[in-house]
Amino acid sequence: MTIFRTAPSARSGLSRRTLLTLLGAAPATAALSAALPGGFRARAADAQLNIYSWPDYFSADNLAAYAKKTGVTPNISTYDSNETLFAKLNSPAGAGFDLIIPSSSWIQQFAAKGLLQELDHSRLNLASFDQDLLNRDYDPGNKYSIPKDWGVLGVVYDPEAVGGEIKTWEDFFKAFEKPEVSGKIRLSDSGWETIGPQLWIEGKDWNTATSDEIRAAGEKVKALAKHVKSFSGLDPNAVANGSIVLAQTNQGTGRAIIGLNPKLKWVVPGPFSELWVDNYAIPKNAPNLDQAYDFLAYQLQPDVQLAETQYIGFPAALAGLEEKLPKDTKNADLIFGGKDLDFSKLTSFVVNPDTIGTYLQVQTEIQAAAG
Amino acid sequence: MTTPSRSSLSARSADHVVAAIPAAWLAVFFLAPLGFTVVFSFARSVFGGVELAFTFENYRTALTGFNGATFLRTIIFAVSASALCLAAAYPVAYFLARHTGRRRAIAVVLILVPYFSSFLIRIMALHMLMSRGGFAETVLNALYLHGGPLDVLDTQTAVFIGMVYAYLPIAIVPLFVVLDRIPKPLLEASRDLGASPLKTFVFVTLPLSRPGVATAVLLTVVPMLGEMVIPRLLGGSKGVLMGQAISSQFLQSQNYALGAAMAVLVLLAVGVMVVLLARLTKGFAEIGQ
Amino acid sequence: MSARGVMGARWGARGTHAALAIWYAAAVLFLFAPIFAAIVYSFNLGVVNKQTATITGWTLQWYPAAWNDLSLRRSVESSLIVAFWSALISVLVGAALGYAIVRHPLARARAVLAALTYILLIVPESVIGVSLLLFYAETGIPLSTATLVAGITPMAIAVVALIVRARVLTLERRVEEAAADLGSSRAKTLWFIVLPQLAPALAAGVIMAYTFSFDNLVVSAFLTTPQINTLPVYLYGSLQYGPSPAVYAAASVVFVFTLSMLGVAALIYRLARRPQSAD
Repeated sequence: MTIFRTAPSARSGLSRRTLLTLLGAAPATAALSAALPGGFRARAADAQLNIYSWPDYFSADNLAAYAKKTGVTPNISTYDSNETLFAKLNSPAGAGFDLIIPSSSWIQQFAAKGLLQELDHSRLNLASFDQDLLNRDYDPGNKYSIPKDWGVLGVVYDPEAVGGEIKTWEDFFKAFEKPEVSGKIRLSDSGWETIGPQLWIEGKDWNTATSDEIRAAGEKVKALAKHVKSFSGLDPNAVANGSIVLAQTNQGTGRAIIGLNPKLKWVVPGPFSELWVDNYAIPKNAPNLDQAYDFLAYQLQPDVQLAETQYIGFPAALAGLEEKLPKDTKNADLIFGGKDLDFSKLTSFVVNPDTIGTYLQVQTEIQAAAG
Repeated sequence: MTTPSRSSLSARSADHVVAAIPAAWLAVFFLAPLGFTVVFSFARSVFGGVELAFTFENYRTALTGFNGATFLRTIIFAVSASALCLAAAYPVAYFLARHTGRRRAIAVVLILVPYFSSFLIRIMALHMLMSRGGFAETVLNALYLHGGPLDVLDTQTAVFIGMVYAYLPIAIVPLFVVLDRIPKPLLEASRDLGASPLKTFVFVTLPLSRPGVATAVLLTVVPMLGEMVIPRLLGGSKGVLMGQAISSQFLQSQNYALGAAMAVLVLLAVGVMVVLLARLTKGFAEIGQ
Repeated sequence: MSARGVMGARWGARGTHAALAIWYAAAVLFLFAPIFAAIVYSFNLGVVNKQTATITGWTLQWYPAAWNDLSLRRSVESSLIVAFWSALISVLVGAALGYAIVRHPLARARAVLAALTYILLIVPESVIGVSLLLFYAETGIPLSTATLVAGITPMAIAVVALIVRARVLTLERRVEEAAADLGSSRAKTLWFIVLPQLAPALAAGVIMAYTFSFDNLVVSAFLTTPQINTLPVYLYGSLQYGPSPAVYAAASVVFVFTLSMLGVAALIYRLARRPQSAD
């Protein structure tokens, strides 16, 4: 039995064809016009520089000035995590990059896999650098990396809701169960940043803790997970308006939050906390080595470092940077992690293949327990 | 009925060409790479690589304890989100197919236009609309549907809203395409035989729209199984789902073998779903012949 | 049926129509709200170069900022190019697949192709991404726009195939047989009889393929190179440190641009059709 008519009616056929034309034409036109500026883009003869970085991580003015001075416009591609950067460099997709920005935690893994080349220090001038940020555990002698900018793990909180001052990670975890705080907490999505504080409370080092110790500390954090609202990237607004009253975050976001709501407080709790450093590094087979060193020399000039700091909101590793900032910079001390930041109480995490799986697995379980 | 044996040689060659184009393309750009994953799922993992082997250890890890629970929760979540999405989409598709008359093209385009802006940006904007002091709070307060600050962000509800938002057009399109093909005379015949509109819908329209329903379910469930952006932006990254778990095995733990095994399991789970859905449309395919 | 019953049915029909219309309008509003919000927020001052949910002040600065951010601008260009090629290839290959699933003379070929389509849809994207990366590594094929497009197409092809398949299922086979009986070759029948009937499904397929490709995040993240970086990869990366309002400006421009292209295409089509519609 036939139950379907076959020929579409003339009228609906027309309207469908209109639709088809509409839909087909738009992408074609869009792609065509998108291809045009590429064709016109000026390219200096042979000179090229391919950077792989976090998005929006270089001052646009500095880049433009560099392009004007040298005729080379840096090509910047972007990634969303060190893990993506690692996976990419560890594959053919990583070929062709001249400069990358790995974080302190991953430098050793990159080097161990042979993904980085040793830096030629005769071509770099580190004289103006803050000595606190050179020669750190994650890369002794800065063999593979030089710091671009840095941050600390701290806490932003509403003193009224918390009902007092937070000085240590113990105070931080104790506040979870207060009715005004429960359900309004943000924790980091990185395993070592949620479990690390518990390890420090127990007097352990997050880089030498065994898998069992990590798991034991993680279980304690997991028991508190039901109070947590979010593990995602922090919207400064959510803390400023009280949706979140206690949050682990970095000083850059902390400064944005306090800029919105000065009643809130920033603290880097004791006994220890994290110092992370994002670094310039050069991949093993970088095709444009001279260009990479040329760009680095440009970036490391003090006035360029200053402009970078003002643009990205995280401090470059320039000595005496705080005094060089304009006097009217709002909450300038927060750019540097607060007034009395003690570098001897900061430790940098180093990814270790033996324990990183435990950190990640327990973190996943903590996040699941919160849902 | 014509049988294939009656077709001429040239007829067959045209059909073979039509089939060979996608088969060849997909064999190279999809099946060959996928082979790696299946091989990896039986391999032994080392950090950032694998040692070829034949072990079921990865599957055991993937199916027990925490990973097994995640697997189950993901399936329940995706199926319910897909059902919700379909429930919202069906009336829209029905309206488009039956009630829009001459303005149909515009009505359909309106549903699809949002798709021309970036998915991530739309979810990021949805996040801001739903945040405290945002637009949704203002509207709900003005309508007396809600009093005071709105704290829907970082909850399961927000994730469901986001899922329906993101996949609504994907569900509407196949439903519309099929509903649109149901001939009017058939519906008129049903009415002439004394069936109420409700009865006509339940006994004629709904059964005939089964291929559209099956397609819509598939098109929504599968991406929902792997969805990572919406739980992160709207759900506060709580209650980990399979998509996140797999990608974290591949990227963060660099445990390719376990990630591959989890992926193969998801593949099997959806395979079961496909068989069930194929049953749903089977009778229909036969009518088409 | 009594007069009253007929009246009741008519009121019922009207009520149904109204309810459906309201539902449709609500759906459209829901779908558009975040887009309008994104446009509004592209004029928001934000805090320290970051977007905020409360409007902190109005500014036009993000539009030039977005234009001056070369990596953002290039990511938009790349996305448009990749989406265009991917949509083109996917609609051709996908339509062939969708048709063959239903109409291929050999039952076994139909079954294999159908299975292939479903497998395409059920493989998580991260797996495709990693697999492709390994595949290109083993085969030594250098990454480029072409490999990115090829990597994205399988999913888009599957989507097109499913839409086309649903349509072909509702087409009557007798028409094709009648054409064959009248001496039309198989290829001619496919081109002149089948293809026009598939038009609505193809249109839907092009849109879906285009948006799937434009929005593809996971596979793209694995296959981007120094030369090719797509918008979703850029946006996703920016979530870590908080996105700048400039990305909202870029997204708004892309959206308005694409919409006006649609509008221009519609206008040209209408003008071209005018003499014809006179008869």
